[in-house]
This record gives sequence, structure tokens and C-alpha cells, in this order.
Amino acid sequence: MKQLWNIAHYEFLHVLKDPILIIIVFIAPLFYACLFGAVYCSAILYDVPLAIVDQDNSVLSREIKTAFANDDSFRIIEGIDSYEEMEAGMKTGTLRAAIVIPRDLELRIYQHRPAQVLAVYDASNLIWGFNSRKFIREVVNDFSIRHTAARLAGEGFSPREIENIVNSVECNVTAWYNPNYSYSNYLFMGLMMLAVHQLGLFGVCLAVTREKERQSWIHYIASAIPSWKIALGKALPYLIMNFFNYALVLWISSRFVQVKIEGSVGLLAVLGILYLMTITFAGFIISLYSSNSLQATRYLMLLSLPLFMISGYTWPRSYIPEFINYIALLFPSSWMVLGIRMVSLKELGLDVLWPTILALSILAVLAVYFAMNFKKERKAPYIDGVNINGGISYPRKINRLQALRQQIRVSRLS
Amino acid sequence: MDEQQVLIEVSDLVQKFFLKTVLNGISFRLFPGESLGIFGLRGSGKTTLLHILAGVDRFTSGTVQVLGCNICKSQRFKQATGLVTQEPSLFQDLTVLENLDFIAGLKNAGPADIERVIDQMELKDCLRYPAAALDAGLYQRLSLACALLNAPRLMFLDELIKDIDLYSRHLMLQGLEPFLNSGGGLVCGFSNIEFADYFDRVGWLEKGQLEFYEPQAAREKWELLLYSFKKPGDVKNV
Amino acid sequence: MRREFSYMWRDRGLRNILLLGPLLGLFLFMAIYHTQNIKDIPTAIVDLDRSSSSREIAEKMKSTEDLKVVSYPANYQQMEELIRRGEIIVGVVIPENFARDVALHRHTRILMIIDASNTAYATNASTAVLGVTRTISAEAGIKTLLAQGMDPVTARNTYMAVDFKEEGWFNPTLNYIYFLVLAMALNMWQQCCTITASINIIGETGVKSWLQIKAAGFSKGRLFFYKSLAHIITFMVLVIPVYIFAFGVFKLPLACSFGTLLLFTLLFAIALHSVGTLMSSAANNAVDSTRFGMMVALPSFVLSGYTWPIEAMPKLLQPVVWIFPQTWFFQGFNYLSFKNPGWEFMGSYFCALLIIAFICYSLASLLTAWMER
Repeated sequence: MKQLWNIAHYEFLHVLKDPILIIIVFIAPLFYACLFGAVYCSAILYDVPLAIVDQDNSVLSREIKTAFANDDSFRIIEGIDSYEEMEAGMKTGTLRAAIVIPRDLELRIYQHRPAQVLAVYDASNLIWGFNSRKFIREVVNDFSIRHTAARLAGEGFSPREIENIVNSVECNVTAWYNPNYSYSNYLFMGLMMLAVHQLGLFGVCLAVTREKERQSWIHYIASAIPSWKIALGKALPYLIMNFFNYALVLWISSRFVQVKIEGSVGLLAVLGILYLMTITFAGFIISLYSSNSLQATRYLMLLSLPLFMISGYTWPRSYIPEFINYIALLFPSSWMVLGIRMVSLKELGLDVLWPTILALSILAVLAVYFAMNFKKERKAPYIDGVNINGGISYPRKINRLQALRQQIRVSRLS
Repeated sequence: MDEQQVLIEVSDLVQKFFLKTVLNGISFRLFPGESLGIFGLRGSGKTTLLHILAGVDRFTSGTVQVLGCNICKSQRFKQATGLVTQEPSLFQDLTVLENLDFIAGLKNAGPADIERVIDQMELKDCLRYPAAALDAGLYQRLSLACALLNAPRLMFLDELIKDIDLYSRHLMLQGLEPFLNSGGGLVCGFSNIEFADYFDRVGWLEKGQLEFYEPQAAREKWELLLYSFKKPGDVKNV
Repeated sequence: MRREFSYMWRDRGLRNILLLGPLLGLFLFMAIYHTQNIKDIPTAIVDLDRSSSSREIAEKMKSTEDLKVVSYPANYQQMEELIRRGEIIVGVVIPENFARDVALHRHTRILMIIDASNTAYATNASTAVLGVTRTISAEAGIKTLLAQGMDPVTARNTYMAVDFKEEGWFNPTLNYIYFLVLAMALNMWQQCCTITASINIIGETGVKSWLQIKAAGFSKGRLFFYKSLAHIITFMVLVIPVYIFAFGVFKLPLACSFGTLLLFTLLFAIALHSVGTLMSSAANNAVDSTRFGMMVALPSFVLSGYTWPIEAMPKLLQPVVWIFPQTWFFQGFNYLSFKNPGWEFMGSYFCALLIIAFICYSLASLLTAWMER
């Protein structure tokens, strides 16, 4: 126990003495939380720049115009009067949607001839596209009902009758879990979980590769201490710090980004612990077997985007080919991002979450098992002829500053 | 009981890096109180051999028994060995005392042991220095102190006294004497033939083979080799 | 320069990453998004009435494009459970006595529930649902009017007064592949490039062989110029197969000419390389430099506004994101691939990339000069 504590204690000291590690472990999660929080803090799209090309200039067309102008989702861009101008605006992105009212709309309606209003939206960015399409439909539905009501009123129906006719079958659309379709509820937590994942891996990854590069790893393997103690001792500080970060991220997201985080705190904690255990010990394993930290860093970095995509967090799982889904099952991140959504957003209980927890536990146990039973003897190091970009070595000015600091400390001591 | 008497027993040790053979069938024994110097030039495999003996590296084939343990099967012998590496391997960002404390933790040694090695190596004045800022001699003393922490029966020292100030050298050699007298075994790697006299026996490592000489004989072999490269008519040769 | 190519080739990890990364990314994302757009949203209908008119509604839901009725739970609780488990996204509840109320022209209410936890999914679902509800309520209203003795033509006209036709421009099928796949592959490429670029200077000055170069008195400017040239050529060589696959094999749309896109990519490659170089000149060693590079490269896609629009970000952040070359590139890429708005508009994008490159290279050289002084 004392040995374990000793290793953990000094690992913690190492972290504190290494500025890069401090950044990775303490500052980066905060930084990412704030950054992504800022990006998604508006949470829902509104003020879609919309142009109304009114070629009719009639009462009806003005009615349509007010219907759109009164809707919060749109911001009317004035001064676009022709189709060509609208087209140019759409191309340069000053407009994201447009309504084109044809010249003889009112006339045609009056004559009971079919008339068509064109609603255009920019689908080159699908977030704009989907949302504009939805907003347009909402406004149009609204407008039709009011328009019908107005006509009925013109036909001499009483308001009560109109109400009855218009609402004879009322369709009540409710959105559960995320009633205003907020993007921060949706994307933010997933991104953050991945950030925690990556930063967690990094921190731990450095734990062994650093020692290997500085040759001090040899002291661990040359002493009689059992491997599980090394693994546990080295991973423990990171586990604690990562959990702290995890809690911090949750707190920031619910407090400042206004992400909906509800559901059982116990479940969130259990998910977090299992997830962090898996990644911490997995990181330890990676750092055991990767020859240098540059390579490990590169591969890990590149994995983040694919990991997020295959998790089925954004693009629903049922649309992803089976074999990719199976691969995704092997990664803790896919379980976690979906799990955290189920708990925090959908407030589900154990009855639905047990597969997630079970899977994460299995992964955690595997990671812990392999981390604790590593072979202490290393493969004989092979001195590569071209080991160019791996190592530290030639001193740079920044290093010199460090050296200066050390010397000052020494001179003060003596 | 005879097994216990032999500290190290190596037979047919082979180490290969892919196609290159570094150690090619090495066999020897080390007895208590004996100090063995492994002499070899750069790249001859001294470090490789020492690391294998210390249980740090895996090897290709052969059997190695250290303190009665087969080192492939048990870790127990590591409780009673100490290692000083050729490359600086202490924790650069920690101070001297923290280094000692930490390695004591790894080796399960107590505060008493730390005090003992501090006295022995006279590190008292620089306990709060960062390891990275130490002079070479002090650094080696610290390395040796760390290796001595668990009062080992067997030590592996790689280039311990090369290129360092004479006082540190003296101090370290003095520190090793009681260790040898109490029946400890010492395996050292060195590459300067001058040091051959410090050992009871010198193993000459070349082309993967180990040959044993008395220190004097080793020096003579060295002289002979040196001589063989000189041209007969050379002025300096006289 | 030859030496630099051979370096990159011999650094096995780098070689694997560079060769496989972008292409693998392209194929992976292609596979993930192979359904192209969100269709067949799983829907459940709870029909508590079981009458012909409720069946009519169910039929209507079924025939809606984008919605796919997958189950008919017996009651509300079962449906709720299905939504909780995420098996369905849309739930429709037709109340008891629906047919009777409709016949009596009484007020009835159909409940439609959308699981909005995945917003992209839910937005689509809600759009589809909105389409259906309009027709349902219109038809019901017409029926009521007819029952009250209005003639059919007027009744219909009251409701179908204005017909709105929707058109999604630039990507009419709302295809996810067109929108995301290539951009993501380019994002992978961008990250790979950052990795390479971030060892530009430190890869030389950080290793001992730097002494040789210093001692040889070789001009540093020339050395790094050739090195950078080698890097940028590599970047371009890497992106070309991605483009070939994307446009040639997968037939993604491209509004502008291929040449313009390549030129734009080249400028971005240069800008990106300059940023990486800056990182590498400031960092302590290659690993740190890679990490710095990645700190920028990873969130840059989110920040670039390619997915979540820049206009929706807070005012404070908006000027900040335009610092990154990635923002210029991905925004410009979106314009080029879908819209091709012409030179006078794109000119600023080209310029911005050049300016970024210029600033970063000068800073990098200053820093290096200071470090080596």
C-alpha cells in the first residue's frame, strides 16, 4: 500500500512539474468546454436570413410577408426584389432562405386557379437546410390556418364555428427530451466526452512513454515491485484528475452552456467512473507498448473524428452499415456518448441503461486486467538507424530557460 | 546449498536484434565477493548483457539464473539487486531527495536506508537540488546511492566511474568495498582498460563472445592489440 | 529536398498516417453515410380507436415519405417505452372515440411525439410530421365544411388557397454524403498535414544532427524553403487521390472547376503548413509541437462553421474563428463545391489564406532566428 501511494504521489508531482501535462490535464478540458460551449451556446438557430421576393405586391403577398416577419426563426433581409438578386444572395451566403411570390398570385387565387409560392432554402449546409425547411413548414402551416380562418370569417362564420372547423382534428406535436431542438443539448456533451477521452488518454500516455524516453522506466522494471502496483500507482492520479475533469465538464455544461443534464447523478457517476477507468488503463497499455510518444500522439489525435462519427451519436446507428456498428461496439467512447445522452437528456434509468453499463464494465475490467498484468521485461530496445522525429535532444532556447531556472534554484540553495 | 553459493549462472545466452547477433552464446558464473568487469568497446553489448542480467530486457535464448532464480520465471531476485545505468536514468524533474525517496518506495526500502546511503555517498549538501542540475560525479553518486538503497547482494554497474571527478570515484569505490566484503557480487561494464585493476576478473566482450582474463592479462592483451596496429618504422613506437 | 522526402518516407508512422489517413477517412465516412439522407424515420402509431377514420390517418402517416411505421403498440405506455429505448423516433397517438368525434364534428386531438434528443434526426422528423399534420387537419376541415353544406369547390379552395413549393437549393436531396463526407475526409487530411508540418523546424533543430547543418554553414532560409516545398508537394499529392475518389468514383457534386478547387486547396495547404511551421518553431520538441498543432487542428472543424453556422456563434467568437485557415478553407470549400459564387466573392478567401501564410511564415522565421541566436 505504501509503495502504491508512493508511486501515485510522485506521478502527481511529475504532472505538476511538467507544464505541458498541466495544460493537458487541467487546462485543456476547461478550455475545450468553454470553446465548444461558446460555439454551441446559442443552441438553436434563429434569425435565418430570409429574403422575400414579392413580385405580386398585393394584400395576400403582404400577408405572407408578415407571417414570415413575425416569426422569430427568420430575419427578413430587405431590398431584394428580383429573382436574380435573390440568386446572387443565396450564392454568396447573405441569404439562407427565400420566398418567391409570383406576379399574379392574388389574381389566380381569386380566380380559383392553382397558384404556387416558391420557398427556397440553402441546403449546402444541412444544418441550415434542415432547420430552414422546418421553419418554413411551421410558418406555412400557421399561415394556412390563419388564412383559412380569415376566409371562413369572410364567408360569414362565427369565430366559434371557425375554431371548430379549423381545429376539428388538432395535431399536437410535442418534442420530448429536448423540446426546443437545442443543438447544445444534442452535440455538446458528445464532443465533450470525446475531449475527455482524448485528453485522458494523452495524460496517461505520457506517463510511461515519458519515463521510457528519459530512461527512468528502467528503475521500475529493475525493482521487484509487482506490475499491478506500477499500473495502479501510475494510473491512480490520472484517474482522480480525469474524474475531477469529468465532473467539472458536467458542471460547466449545465451551469454555463445550459445543457440539459438531468437524470440520476448516481448513474452519471457510475458511467463516468467506468468510462474513465477504461480510458485511463487503456492509455496506460498504449503507452506501455508504443515505442515513442510522438507516434502515440499522432495516432490518437487522428482517431478522434472517426471515433465520434462511428459512435452513432450524430448519424443514427440504424443508418450505419452493420460491420461498422460492430467495430464501434469495441470502443468505450461509442457506449459512453450514447449512454450519457440517455441519462442526462432522456433521464432513463437502469432498466434501459444496463447494456451500456455492462459493456463499459466489461471494457473497464479488460483494460484493468491487461494493464495490471503487463510483462515487466521489455523487448530489447532496437536502436533504429533513423529515429529522426522521435526524440528530444538538441537544446533549444526554451530548454535553456529551464536550465537557467534550475541553476538559479541551485545557487539559492547553496 | 551449492546453488545458493553461485550468484549468477549464465549458460548459452544469445541475444539477437533481428538479424544482428549481439551476444552469441555466453556462459559464466559469478561467486560471492567477486567483482567482474565486463570490458568492451562501444556497441560490443556490455549494456545489453547487464540489462539482461538485471531482468530488464528479454533475451533470445539461453538460461540465466540470478540468485537462484530463473529470471524468466520469477521476479524475486530483483529484491536483492541494484542497477546503475550508463545513460542517466534518474527522474530529471525531481530533486535528489525525491529521487531517493521514490526509488526507495519502488524497492520497498525504509527511511533508515535512505539515510544510510546519503551518508555513504555524502549527498547531504545537495538533497534539494534537482537531479538534472547535478554534476556528473554527484549524479553518479546519486545513481549508486539509489542502487544501494535496498542493500543488494548483487550490483550491476554500467560505466560507473568513467569520466568523473576523482573524489567521487574514490567515494564510490570506498562505498563498494564493504559490499564486496560482505559477500556481494559485482558486475561492471567498462570501456577504459585503465580500470581493469579494480576487478578480480575481467570479461572481454567482443563479437558476442566473452573471454575471461586476469586484470593483468587483459591489460597485456590491450597493449598487444595497440601495438599490432603500429607500423614498425614509426618514430613514436620506440 | 530529396532528403526530406526520404525522411518522410522512412518515418514509418508518418508514412502510414499520410498515405492511409485521408483515404481511409474518406471510405469510412462514405460507409457511415451510405444511406445518404435521413429517410424511413421509425415511427409507431398507437391507434386507440381502431376505426376506419383512424386507420385512414395511419395510412396517411405510412405514405408520408421519410416516415416509416415500424410498430403498432397497443397503448401509450408501450409507445413511451419504445421511445425511451430509442427504437422509434416519432410516436403518434390517435385517441379513443376519434371516429365518433370526427363524425360529430367535435374537437379531437391527435398527439404526436418526437424524440428530440438527436436534434438533426428530430428536425427531419418534425419537418415530415408538419407536412402530414397540415394535410390531416385540412382534410378534416374540408369534411366539416362539406358537412355544413358548403359546396366542395369552395370548401377545397378555403383550405388549399396558397400552395407552397419547397426547393432546397445546391443540394436538393438534402444528401448528407454531399455535405459531410468529403469535408470530413479533408478534415482528416488537414490533421495529417498539421502533423507533418508541425515537425518542420523542430525536426531539424531539435535533433543533434542540427549541429552538422549549423557547422556546415548551410543557409537556413534555403534549407527550410526546400523542406517546406517538399511538405507542400506531399500535401497536394495526398489530396489528389481523395479528390479523384470523391469526384470520380463517388460522383460528388462540384460546382466550380477542378482547377479552381485545386488552387484553393494549394493555398490552404500553404497556409496550413505555415501554421504548423509556426508551431514547430515555438515548441520545445517534436511531440509538444505535434500536440500544439493538434490543439488547433482538432477543434478547428467545429469552429470552422462548416456544420454549426458561424452566424449562430456568439458575437465574440465570430471574429476569432476567422483567424484559423481552416475556417476560410471549409467555408470556401462549401461555396466552391456547391455554389461557385464567382471570383469577386471568392477572391477574399484566396487572399485571406495567403495573408495567413505570410504572417505565420514570417513569425516562424523570426522565432527560429531568435531561438538560434
